[in-house]
Amino acid sequence: MKSLQHVNVYTVEEAVNTLREFQGEAMVIAGGTDITGVLKDKLLPDYPKALVNIKTIPALSYIKEESSGIKIGSLATLSELSKSPLLQGQYKVLAKAACNVATPQIRNMGTIGGNLGQDTRCWYYRYPHSLGGRIMCLRKGNGPCLAVAGDNRYHSVFGGQGCFASCPSDTAVALLALNAEVKVTGKWGTRTIPVQEFFHPRGNSLKKVELIQEIQMPYLAEKTRGCFLKYTLRKPVDFAIVSVAVLVAMEEGVCSEARIVLGAVAPGPLRAKKAEDFLKGKLIDATVLEEAGHLAVSGAKPLSMNSYKVEIARTLVVRALTDCAFD
Amino acid sequence: MQDELQEALKFIGKETPRKDAGDIVRGKANFIDDIKLSGMLHGRVLRSPYPHALIETIDVSRAEVLEGVKAVLTYENVPNWKGGLPPHVGVLDRKVRFVGDAVALIAAESEEIAEEALELIDVHYKALPAVYDTEEAMKEQAPQLYSEFPGNVFPLACPWMGPDSLQEVVIGDVEEGFAESDYVVEGTCAYDNIPNPLPIEPPGVIANWEGPEDLTVWSSTQSPYFLKVILHYAMGRINVRSIASHCGGSFGTKVAPWQLAFYAAALAKVARRPVRISYSKEEHFAAYTLRLGSRFSGKVGIKKDGTIMAVAGDWLINAGYCSDAAQGMVAVGCGEVQLMVRSPNWNIKPKLVCTNRNASKMVRGYGGQELEAAFIPVLTMALEKADIDPFDFFKQNYVKPGDGYYWRDGNWWVSRGINYEKAMQEGAKAFGWKEKWKGWLQPTSIDGNIRTGVGVGVHGNADVGEDVSEAYVRLDPDGTVLIYSCLSEHGTGQRSSVCKMVAETLKVPLERVSLAPPDSEVNPYEFGPVGSRGTYAIGAAIIRAAEDARQKLLALSAPYFNSTPEDLDTKDGFVFLKGEEDKKVSWKRGVGFDRTCLGYGRFEPDFSVPNFAMVFVEVAVDTETGKIEVKRVLTATDVGKIIDPQSLQNQLHGCLGSAGLDTAIYEESVLDTKTGRILNSNMIDFKWRTFLELPVFDSVTLETPVQTHRFQSVGVGEIMTSPAPPAVLMAVSNAIGKRFNRYPLTPDIVLEALGKCQKTEVRSRK
Amino acid sequence: MPERFITLFVNGEQYNLEVGERPWMVRTSHTLAYTLRESLELTGTKVGCNKGECGSCTVLIEGKPVLSCLTLTVECDQKKIITIEGLEDPQTGELDPLQQAFVQSGAFQCGFCTPGMILSVKALLDVNAAPVEEDVKEALSGHYCRCISHYHVLDAVSRVLKKAGE
Repeated sequence: MKSLQHVNVYTVEEAVNTLREFQGEAMVIAGGTDITGVLKDKLLPDYPKALVNIKTIPALSYIKEESSGIKIGSLATLSELSKSPLLQGQYKVLAKAACNVATPQIRNMGTIGGNLGQDTRCWYYRYPHSLGGRIMCLRKGNGPCLAVAGDNRYHSVFGGQGCFASCPSDTAVALLALNAEVKVTGKWGTRTIPVQEFFHPRGNSLKKVELIQEIQMPYLAEKTRGCFLKYTLRKPVDFAIVSVAVLVAMEEGVCSEARIVLGAVAPGPLRAKKAEDFLKGKLIDATVLEEAGHLAVSGAKPLSMNSYKVEIARTLVVRALTDCAFD
Repeated sequence: MQDELQEALKFIGKETPRKDAGDIVRGKANFIDDIKLSGMLHGRVLRSPYPHALIETIDVSRAEVLEGVKAVLTYENVPNWKGGLPPHVGVLDRKVRFVGDAVALIAAESEEIAEEALELIDVHYKALPAVYDTEEAMKEQAPQLYSEFPGNVFPLACPWMGPDSLQEVVIGDVEEGFAESDYVVEGTCAYDNIPNPLPIEPPGVIANWEGPEDLTVWSSTQSPYFLKVILHYAMGRINVRSIASHCGGSFGTKVAPWQLAFYAAALAKVARRPVRISYSKEEHFAAYTLRLGSRFSGKVGIKKDGTIMAVAGDWLINAGYCSDAAQGMVAVGCGEVQLMVRSPNWNIKPKLVCTNRNASKMVRGYGGQELEAAFIPVLTMALEKADIDPFDFFKQNYVKPGDGYYWRDGNWWVSRGINYEKAMQEGAKAFGWKEKWKGWLQPTSIDGNIRTGVGVGVHGNADVGEDVSEAYVRLDPDGTVLIYSCLSEHGTGQRSSVCKMVAETLKVPLERVSLAPPDSEVNPYEFGPVGSRGTYAIGAAIIRAAEDARQKLLALSAPYFNSTPEDLDTKDGFVFLKGEEDKKVSWKRGVGFDRTCLGYGRFEPDFSVPNFAMVFVEVAVDTETGKIEVKRVLTATDVGKIIDPQSLQNQLHGCLGSAGLDTAIYEESVLDTKTGRILNSNMIDFKWRTFLELPVFDSVTLETPVQTHRFQSVGVGEIMTSPAPPAVLMAVSNAIGKRFNRYPLTPDIVLEALGKCQKTEVRSRK
Repeated sequence: MPERFITLFVNGEQYNLEVGERPWMVRTSHTLAYTLRESLELTGTKVGCNKGECGSCTVLIEGKPVLSCLTLTVECDQKKIITIEGLEDPQTGELDPLQQAFVQSGAFQCGFCTPGMILSVKALLDVNAAPVEEDVKEALSGHYCRCISHYHVLDAVSRVLKKAGE
C-alpha cells in the first residue's frame, strides 16, 4: 500500500478541520475494512494525501436510548450492534442486519458509519489496478458503465442513472425500514439526512469534508414486528445478492402499517411503496402477501443477466412479511 | 503372514501426530514468505491491460532512476529462456496474450518502491483482436496467438510421458457399436467455468545466482526436484539447486512455478542480489493457474441392460494463453475416462486450444475431472433412456482387476488393483442410495419449496504409480534414521507418513526417524507427491531404501554374531539373532561408531494399480430462490492399508476443497469477454466453502490389500474431487427434474431452468 | 510532521516503534500484519489475501479477533495484541491446550490457515467457555481453508472443550 499522511483526531470538530486542511484530498478511516482495500487496490485515479483516523474520537462509540428513540454513534461496531440489548423488538432488524455482515473479524472492526458509507462492490469498479490497470467508469468520473453490456449478475435491477452498481450496505436496508436519519457534520455544521436521501445513484451524499456522526432511529408503534433477510450464496463473507427488511404493524390480523425495503437491487436501499400501500388496512393472508411480493418488484428493470434477482427479491419480501404477520 | 504383519504394526494405521504439527500450531512452519535472505530484493510485474496486443514502445527510463530500483527488465533485455509444452513462453515477449500478461519486471529494495516504479513505465500498445472461446479460436479468421501454433491449436504430444503419449481414445469401431445399441443419445456439456484451485498461500519464488551457471531457487513448490529438472532444461542447461519451503497448499498448481522462477532469476541476474517474486492474491487469481476449460459433444450408445456399446465425440479443451503440460492432462484424461466406464468402442478426439486468457495449468483431477465432468451429463442421458440406476451402472462398469485400458504412455495396461465393488456397495448402503434414488429426474423428497435429490460419481486414476522416485535411507550408529527424499510438505502429511513406513520397516521408534530438508542438492531424484503417488511410488522407493540399509546393517553386524545376515534382525536400534532377542548389540557396536549404512531405493513407473473413489451427494434446492445446499457427502473407496488415519480423512475431505465439488455450484472465474478481464479476482466474489456451509460428511474406506509395496497401500487423495461435480449436477437435476449441461449451477441458472425468471443472456464463455 | 512514536504490547512484550519514512520505521501505510512479520519477525501471522477476505492474518487486539492485514499499525498505539506466538507458555514452551488439541486432532493440512483459526477459537473460548458447535462454526466462518481441515478443526475444538470439562 502506498504511503500517505495519517492523522489521528480526537473530536468531531478536529476531524472536520483536518479534512478541510487537506481540501478534500483526505479520506476518513474508521474500521478500515473497506477503505484499506480501496487503497491497496488503487481503485480510484486520485490517491488520497491523507487518512484522518476518527477511531480516536471517544465520543462516537455508543448505542443509547433517548426519549426520541435510539441513537448510535458512527463508531459503534457491527459486533456491538449485533449484541446490543437496546436493539430489541423492531430494532432487532438492525441487529440482524449487522450480524449478517461479512465475517466475525470484519464485524469486530467495521462500524455502522463505515457500513453506510462503504463503496460499491461492482466488480468493474473494484477491478484491482495491479492487473493491467483500474477500469474507469462513470462512477469514477470517466467512461461508461461496463456492467450494462457486461456481466451484471449482481447489479441493479431497478435501473441506475448511468451507473448500475447496487448498494452493498446491509444496515442501510434495516435503517431505512426503521425510518432512521443520518447525522452528518461538516464545515458548515451539522445536518440530518433521512437514510432514503443519504444514498444517491453514484454513491452517497457525504461531502469530502463531512463525516457521519450519528444514526438516529425514532420510536415506532408498539405492535410493529420486523424481519431482515439476506440472500447470499454463502452465509458469511458474501455481500447480499438481495436483502429485505420489513416492518409490519398488525392489529387483529389487519395490517395497519408496513415498511418494506429492498437491498442490493438498486443504487441505494429501496422502499417498496406500492406494496406498503397495498398492505395498509388489509386483512393479511397468504394471497395478500403474494400480491405484496409482486407489487414490491413491480417496477423492476433487470439488466441482461440479473432478472433472477427480481424473483429472489419477490420471494424474500413474501417470506419476510409472512414471518412478521404470522410469527 | 499377512495377519502377522498387520498385527505387529506399531505406526502404520495408527494415529500419530504429524512431525510438523508443533511447528504448524506455533506458527513456526516456514512458508515461502517467511524466508528472508540477506540483501534480498522484491520483484514486481507490470501487467498488460490488453487481452492481446503488441508492445509498440516501452520506456523504462523513469523507473530505472527511481531510488531503490535495482533492476528493470522488458522483452528487449531478458534472457532467452522458454517454458510451456512445447516450449513457447519466454520470460517476457513483445506480444502480450491476456490481461495480466507480464510486460516488464522490476526488482527494488522494497515492495513499495517496486510498485511505485511500475507506475513509471510508459508503454504504448497496438491492440489486437482477442478470442476467448475454443470454437471461435479454431475458426479461420480468428486472431492467432502464436505463429508456431496455426489455428490456435497446440500439438498433443507429451514427450515426457513417452514417445507414444496418449492423444485420443480410439478403440474398436464406434459405428458398429452404435448399430448394436438399443439407444443412442447425443449431447453436449461444458465444464468451462475455469475455477481457480486457489491454495491459500499465493505462489512465491526466491532466486539467487551463486555463479554464472549456478542458480538456487527457494519456492513453495510441491515438487522441488522436478522443478530443478524443468528449470535446468528451460534455462539453457544451467545448474539449479531447488529448495522447498513448507507449501501452503498446491493441489498441483505449485508443482512447477517456472514462470515465477524465470522472473526472479532474470532480475537476480541483473541486480546481482537475491530476488523474491511473491504473487499477490490478485495475481494468483488472474495471472497464475486455472483449471482447463472443457467441453464434450458427442454420442453414447447403450443396450437396454446398461451395457455401453460405443462412445464418440469431440473434446474441446481451452488451455488459455499457454500450455503448461496441458498435453499431459489430455493424455491422463483420455486414460481416466476409460477407467470410469468400459466400452468396447471409443472415438474421443481432443483438441487443445489457446485463447486470450490466463493459463490453465496442472490441477488435481488432471484432465480426467475436466473430461468426465463434461462427459458424464451426456452419458447419463443414455442411462436415463435405458432407465438404469447410475450407482448400479458405475459399480458395474468401472475397470476391474484383469480389465485393460490405454494409459497416458499410449500402452495397454491391465489392472492388477483392488476390486472396488465392495467399497462402492458399502458406500451406497451407508448413504441409503437405494432408498433415496427415485429414478432419473425424480426428487428424493419434496417439502414445500425445498426439493432434495441425490447424485453419484466415480473416478479412477492409474497415475498412483506414475514417474520415478528415488530415496536414500541412512542408519546412523546412534540408532537414528535419516531419510533423503526430495519431498516437500504440502498438506497431505506425506513427510510424516513416510517416516512411519521407515520406522515400521526398521522397527525403530518413530521419533528416531526424520527427513532431510527438501533440497535437490541433498536428495536424489523425486518427481513429487502428485496424482496420489506419494503412498505407492514415493513410499516404495523409501521402503526399498530402508530395506537396503537394513541389509547393509545386518551384513556389517554379522561378524559380531559370527553369523549370516539372514539370521539377524533389528529392532529399536539393536541387531539381534532371530529367536534370541536378548542376544543383541547396538547399531553402534554392530557397525562401529564411525560408520553409517546408506540404503538406496528406486521406484519405476507402474500404471497397473488404478485407484477408484465413488462420491454420493444429497442436495436440497430451494425452488423459489434457486439456492442449492449440499446436505450430505459420502465418499467410498479402498486404500489397501491405511497409513495415517487423520491424514487420510483429511484427504477425503478434500473432496470439498480446491476446484472440486464446489465447481458444480460456486466456483468459476468470471471472464469478461468485452475486456478480457477476470472480474472476480478476489475472495469475496470467488466463492469458496465456509465453516457455515459444511455438509454432513461420511466416508466408507476399506482396506483390501493391494499389490504395491510392503504395506499394501495405495493413495486416494487426488481422486476425491473428480467424482463430485457431475454427482452434484445429477443431484440437482433429480431434485428439480431439469437437466443441466453446464457448471456452476448458480441461482440464476436454476431459476431459469424452473421457468421462474427470464432467460438470461447466454454468458459469453471462455 | 512531528516525530511520532507508537507503543504496541505484543504477546506481553512492549515494542516502541518510530513512525516515519526511513527503512526501519513504521510507515503510515504499514499494516499490522506487515509490522508483525517484517519488523517484529513474528511470521506466525500469515498473509493469504492481504485484503481481509481469508482470515489467515487474524490476531487478537484487546482480546478480539481482527484482520491484521486491514489494520494500520499506526492505529494500534497502546493496544494489546496476541499473535499465535503468544499462546504457548513463554517459560516452558508448553503449548496452549487449544494448540495441543489441534495437534492431537490433526486439525490442519498445509497449515497456513491454522494460526488464524486457532486465534479465532481462542477468542471465542475466552468469552464463552462452553460454545455449541454452531458458535464454533460462526467464530470460524471468516477463515478460508482450501485443503478442507474444517472437520478436524471442529474435532479439535470439541476435544479441548471435553478436556476442560473433565
